[in-house]
Amino acid sequence: MSSYMPSALHKTALILFPAFDWCISPNHPEREERLLYTRDQLIEEGLEDVENIVFYNPELASLADVNRVHFCVPSAEKLLSESHLISAGGTLRAARAVMEKETEKAFAIVRPPGHHAMQTVFGDRGFCVINIEAIMVEYIRRHYGVRKIAIVDTDCHHGDGTQDIFYNDPDTLFISLHQDGRTLYPGSGFLHESGGPAAEGYTINIPLPPKTGEEGFDMVMERVVMPVLDQFAPELIINSAGQDNHYTDPITNMNFTAQGYARLNRLLNPDICVLEGGYSIEGALPYTNLGIILAMAGMDFSHVREPDYDPRRFTQPAEMTRYIEALCAKALGVFTARGAKKQEALQQRIVTKQKNIFYDTTGFHVQENTSYHLCPACPGYTEVKATGHNRHIHAFTVPFNACPKCRGQARDTFSTTRPAPQTMTVLQDRIEDSYETK
Amino acid sequence: MIIGIDIGGTHADGALLDGDRLVAKQKVGVDERHLSEVIITLLQKLVPADRGRLKRIQLSSTLCTNAIVTGSLDPVGMLIQAGPGMNPDFFARSCPTWFLDGAIDHRGHIICDPDPGKVADAAAAMQRQGIDSIGIVTKFSHRNNRHELQMAGQLAGRFAHVSMGHRISGLPNFPRRVYSTWLNGALSSQFARFKAALEQGLDHLGITCPCHILKADGGTIPFARASEFPCESIHSGPSASLMGCLALGAPSSDAILLDIGGTTTDIALLVDGAPLLEPYGIDIAGRPTLIRALKTTSIGLGGDSRVTWSDGAFRIGPDRQGPSMAEGGSAPTPTDAMVVLGKLSLGSPAKATAAMIALRPGQAPEATAAALLETFVEHIRLAVAAMIEEVFSRPVYTVAALLHRRRISPKEIVAIGGPAAALQSFLEAALHLPCTVPAHYEVANAIGAARARLTVQATLYADTVDGQLSIPEISCVETIPTRFAMADAEKRLQEAIAGMLQEMGMKGCPEIDFLERLEMNVVRGFSTSGKILTLKAQIRPGLAII
Repeated sequence: MSSYMPSALHKTALILFPAFDWCISPNHPEREERLLYTRDQLIEEGLEDVENIVFYNPELASLADVNRVHFCVPSAEKLLSESHLISAGGTLRAARAVMEKETEKAFAIVRPPGHHAMQTVFGDRGFCVINIEAIMVEYIRRHYGVRKIAIVDTDCHHGDGTQDIFYNDPDTLFISLHQDGRTLYPGSGFLHESGGPAAEGYTINIPLPPKTGEEGFDMVMERVVMPVLDQFAPELIINSAGQDNHYTDPITNMNFTAQGYARLNRLLNPDICVLEGGYSIEGALPYTNLGIILAMAGMDFSHVREPDYDPRRFTQPAEMTRYIEALCAKALGVFTARGAKKQEALQQRIVTKQKNIFYDTTGFHVQENTSYHLCPACPGYTEVKATGHNRHIHAFTVPFNACPKCRGQARDTFSTTRPAPQTMTVLQDRIEDSYETK
Repeated sequence: MIIGIDIGGTHADGALLDGDRLVAKQKVGVDERHLSEVIITLLQKLVPADRGRLKRIQLSSTLCTNAIVTGSLDPVGMLIQAGPGMNPDFFARSCPTWFLDGAIDHRGHIICDPDPGKVADAAAAMQRQGIDSIGIVTKFSHRNNRHELQMAGQLAGRFAHVSMGHRISGLPNFPRRVYSTWLNGALSSQFARFKAALEQGLDHLGITCPCHILKADGGTIPFARASEFPCESIHSGPSASLMGCLALGAPSSDAILLDIGGTTTDIALLVDGAPLLEPYGIDIAGRPTLIRALKTTSIGLGGDSRVTWSDGAFRIGPDRQGPSMAEGGSAPTPTDAMVVLGKLSLGSPAKATAAMIALRPGQAPEATAAALLETFVEHIRLAVAAMIEEVFSRPVYTVAALLHRRRISPKEIVAIGGPAAALQSFLEAALHLPCTVPAHYEVANAIGAARARLTVQATLYADTVDGQLSIPEISCVETIPTRFAMADAEKRLQEAIAGMLQEMGMKGCPEIDFLERLEMNVVRGFSTSGKILTLKAQIRPGLAII
């Protein structure tokens, strides 16, 4: 516009959609008020007038965009409200801005979040129903042919949903930095959760001790995240930009700061950020979101400080430094050993695992049995049987990178499977982009 | 009776209206250095013998615009408290700036007071530099004006003009507030001189009725208020022409208003008959501001635009190379095409035909002329479509608003300006809409100035947890009970607007629009501790009831 306004070095799209008329329940952390102060701060800063920062409204994701990723039980239509489709649609708008080169980078500041939503969806868990990053990733693959994508999840809670969806995909590198699962919901995200048989080493969990602050996060970024990304060489980097590692967050126990989040993003240099959690809505979010935006846009964020920020409060004890050093070494080892177990797994041809998924919002359990049908040429196809809430599903996924043989096998198995009583049988074919039920 | 005066770049128009009937019209040349004399000359010619019948003079002046163009702005010293956020250094590119410590947060809570010693040092430095107009702006002053008032209080009496951010606008957007405040400070002394000269002239003519000045938002304010907020008088030209369109064409649905001139075409949109405004304000002197303005798009396309033919297409404008060839100019223009098609009687038809042949040798001149005018209106069509899309894409923040966005869907066109009549059928064909070209459009601007009504706006921010509300436009901060609700907010804001109107000498209060109602529960520790309410109210631009 003019020399009287600052200019962003990297043209950045902001999809800011606070959904002021939607909540899980009135007093829930995921309520109307959540992004009020963030909106107020960003607008008062004048970001709308900064050269090379553009604001877009979200669009609505379609049910097909959801069904490309999830198995919704009983159906996406019955489970989702417009608010969920708008939140997912915000990420799609961000993706389109970047993929069509309208902008260099994009940040979807939308709610509700999504990273606890797993492939099968029976309801709301951890404030999430559908996984908005995963929907974006598969949308990007479908429409823009991108193969290798890295997702770095910097929410304080383990991104168990995103991990679940991409667990057996060696083309999606998933790194989650979070508060140790022994001390926080959802109680997962340990080092040994390192990927399915076809993608061993492509899921890297870094469970950080409570009270980790700038120093600890800096160390993880420098010692693990950046070297791993350099080797993986993704075509696209996505940050699941949860902001509840903040020292003022009411539901977590970390010591991270707006300066820290901004620095992390400058180093990570993601193409797309998607807001996840963050519930210190007044003392943190206005500053952390602004810090992340300025870092993405390549602007000076040195003046973004919480009113009570004092770096001296967060000096890291030597013992914690040693602990995180050791953790970094182990996490790096996970990636170094990637793919080592695939040959062994191939001999079994089918690897099966079981898990119990807790839906905390309404309080019920789902029993899930996942079978990876392995193949030497591709990640193979996946078969899922799940039961919960008196409903049953038997589903098959053909991933975007499956070979023709595996795809054919999945289709054959689906067509010859006799639907069991009260069971929905589904084929999700990401190559053909189809979703069939019977 | 009302006199409307519109001062343009080369001439000034005046219109005397009795009700909505045009009684007299006048045109005089403009000497930009002596604007008040130009106005007095026009008034002399228009004022009715019975002075008592004259109810008001309404003026669209280029004074402030000229001051910016000629660079004759007063030096302003800015005191800025930026608090946490974006690096504020860029403000110093605009004018001498002193950054203060202290901060107010997004809820209007004071985090830390500014150091009075630093304020005093800054003031001393300004005085050493001979600065006599200052601007004081803090981030979030629309939520809490205390620091701005404190600093203004500390420096009271030491500067001729003190402009405070929160008084200029209750809208958010700190950089825009800073630049609006700067602009206000930079125009203060000139406007004061203009006002004095004009009042003297009116005295001589024995005119005692109130004098109002047109704003960029299509509304007016009394002169007294304009001298406190001279920044509001800027960029009133498009307002005059578009309010003229509204007065003459009287569309009541979604509509397109066009002012097609010699070198530019101004486009504005009506939504249900009301002019569409910019969400924040217009850019002035390269700076974004909070000066409320009609949403207009100006494209470099007019009757005298230079036309060339290259790569199988006409290129029209944005430059002008003298008059049309029909009138003795050297380059083909759209005006020549209008003459060739018999849509305009002007100059030499033979020369106009030569212009078409020069553009496309070997083609029938009439065909060239028609194709040229089709291209002309196609540019307008595209600009209108882009505007509609831009308005549709404005950010919304609720699910309901996103799902129920309405795209502006014009039902008619009102066009004024020299080439408007000649383009009427082309506009109708290109936009598939009926197009009106009203009579008297040559004085549409003066009529627009005369017919515009007073507009004001105010914003309210109430926080029942803190037990406080703020209406920045009137420097109001007051205590509220915990039960304060949206209905109370509306009532309070209505009172505020009524008070502002009374201060401006208006009797009665036209219909107030309440906009952007937002009511939010504040939940702390899993229980509701109160509410935050925000509300905007305005008297929207429109025609005064006669």
